[in-house]
Amino acid sequence: MALIEMQNIKKDYFLGEAVVHALQGIDLQIDAGEFVAIWGPSGSGKTTLLNLIGAIDEPTEGSLEIAGREVRSLSDNQRSELRNESIGFIFQSFNLVPVFSALENVMLPLQIKGAPSGEAKARALGRLEAVGLADLVHNRPFKMSGGQQQRVAIARALVTDPSLVIADEPTANLDSKTAHMILDLMRDLNEEERTTFIFSTHDQRLLDRVKRLVRMEDGRIMEGGMRQ
Amino acid sequence: MIKWMKLAVRNVLRNKRRSLVTLLAIGVGFAAVSLFYGYVSYMYYGLRVSAIRGEGLGNLTIFKAGWNEKGKLEPEKYMLSKEETERTIKIVSAEEEVVVATPEIHVSGIVSNGTASTIFIAQGVVPKDEKIIKGGWAQFRPVRGKTLDDKISYGVEAGQDLARYLGFTPGTDGVVMATTLGGQMNAMDILVNGVYDTGSDATNDKYMRCTFDFAQSLVDTKSAERIVVLLKDWKKTEAMRTELLSKLREAGIPVEIKTWNELSLFYYKVRGMFDMIFLFLFSIVLVIVIMSTVNTMGMAVLERTREIGTLRALGLKRRGVSLIFALEGGLLGLFGSVIGIFLHVIVWGAIKIISPTYTPPGVSTPVPLVVDLVPHFLFILVLCLVGLSLLAAIIPARRAAAQNVVEALGHV
Repeated sequence: MALIEMQNIKKDYFLGEAVVHALQGIDLQIDAGEFVAIWGPSGSGKTTLLNLIGAIDEPTEGSLEIAGREVRSLSDNQRSELRNESIGFIFQSFNLVPVFSALENVMLPLQIKGAPSGEAKARALGRLEAVGLADLVHNRPFKMSGGQQQRVAIARALVTDPSLVIADEPTANLDSKTAHMILDLMRDLNEEERTTFIFSTHDQRLLDRVKRLVRMEDGRIMEGGMRQ
Repeated sequence: MIKWMKLAVRNVLRNKRRSLVTLLAIGVGFAAVSLFYGYVSYMYYGLRVSAIRGEGLGNLTIFKAGWNEKGKLEPEKYMLSKEETERTIKIVSAEEEVVVATPEIHVSGIVSNGTASTIFIAQGVVPKDEKIIKGGWAQFRPVRGKTLDDKISYGVEAGQDLARYLGFTPGTDGVVMATTLGGQMNAMDILVNGVYDTGSDATNDKYMRCTFDFAQSLVDTKSAERIVVLLKDWKKTEAMRTELLSKLREAGIPVEIKTWNELSLFYYKVRGMFDMIFLFLFSIVLVIVIMSTVNTMGMAVLERTREIGTLRALGLKRRGVSLIFALEGGLLGLFGSVIGIFLHVIVWGAIKIISPTYTPPGVSTPVPLVVDLVPHFLFILVLCLVGLSLLAAIIPARRAAAQNVVEALGHV
């Protein structure tokens, strides 16, 4: 069974009286353990697609199943639980909570889940060590570089051992060297832990490092939608 | 909960200037309410003591049933007979809580120095019981000259303005005239033992105190108009009224009992006025606290929209978002209250050191301005303001929780 199963997904946005067809009939299957890049120009629908896969948005039409669960049938609370337990997010602007240290940021998803503080701390420290930030655990985001902040975000995304990590343009705000480093880190984690990574990018320099490429244009998948 | 509290505390401290303005608004509001309450609390205490001991109302006053309604028309019928008075005092005095039970007659008429005369209202009291009722109050408003004495039954104490009008000084003579219960005019010589300040401009020119025996002779009766009861603890007034009423009725003595606050019109009116002012002041503070908190939390929601989106994406439920902002609102109330307590203590200490005085309207002498420190009220006020701030934060908190996750994440 595919981890992600999308059939004829459509997503419309309403801007006043105008309707924007962001996704126009997407069919996509992604298996557990894949390392997938969604690639395409700005406005092609990459972020919209990731938002749907991440269960933070709902399709206008079509069927979307994550780990066998139809997302449209879930309540808001059930979707929150699904995201917390099964999905990790990495954002373009890192989106760390500024008043929390690196460690506290990484502990957040576990604490939302209700994990005891001691357990959350131990697991967060382990994740920060895995991304090479063991020395900066008590630093707040404003005292860290972009690359360091993104590594904290990766540790946060992985701390609940999710089956799926979604990254929307994770390297867009990073220099080229740091971007490659972040991508290598994600790929290593994918290979070591079999965590599924789906990330969007329009940076062609990163594409030779992915296992599967899904190319989008004008709200449609032009290439790589189904398994090879 | 601790983690969310930590997040709330840090977010409150995040925008220091804005939080400080809100905290000061809440703190100053808190101090205004608590200081006013402290002032009113002392004033109510002063008025209570003044009524119970100064006016000599005691805690309870026992009348024969019907006295307050028809006593002026048929006084003889509605006064307590000698036998009823003695039995009543015996029953009442047997109570552990009762300090003293003493008979009184209030009489009015004309007082003259031989050349000039004016009206008077006199309290006929048992001097030794009167001393017990006055207690420490007697030192606060001392009698110039001698106090009442059982041995000199025609000796009186006169209000200071009444004494001034008639040229009475301790040791001078005069005459009082009043109608007896039978309707005859009666006149008796008096000796002015002392002159006293009633504490009120309205009564200083007509009040006198005489002995109970003298008052009985003046109105020609062996009965008593009322029996004044002083209790050990004023808080037991209501309970003792019920208790005594039941026992006296069981004994076959038809009575009605009034409490000191029912008889002290001044206390009742002043309390009503200050309760209203307190309510008005509290309402203003309430609006300030709500507006400040709503404004601060509204700004916080706007500024942290992306953070809200992130937390929701990480799996925080809507009620979790509401909880975070409600906690922040509650913390504003708590920190503001702490500032308020600090301000209260500073002002309270300053008043203690400076000891200012003022003369309230209708009062004959200056009184000290005292503000009580009432810990239980401060605690209630803290709870109240924390609760209010928490409630005020719920509106922006609900708005934050209702936001669409995708739109919140895209917020710049």
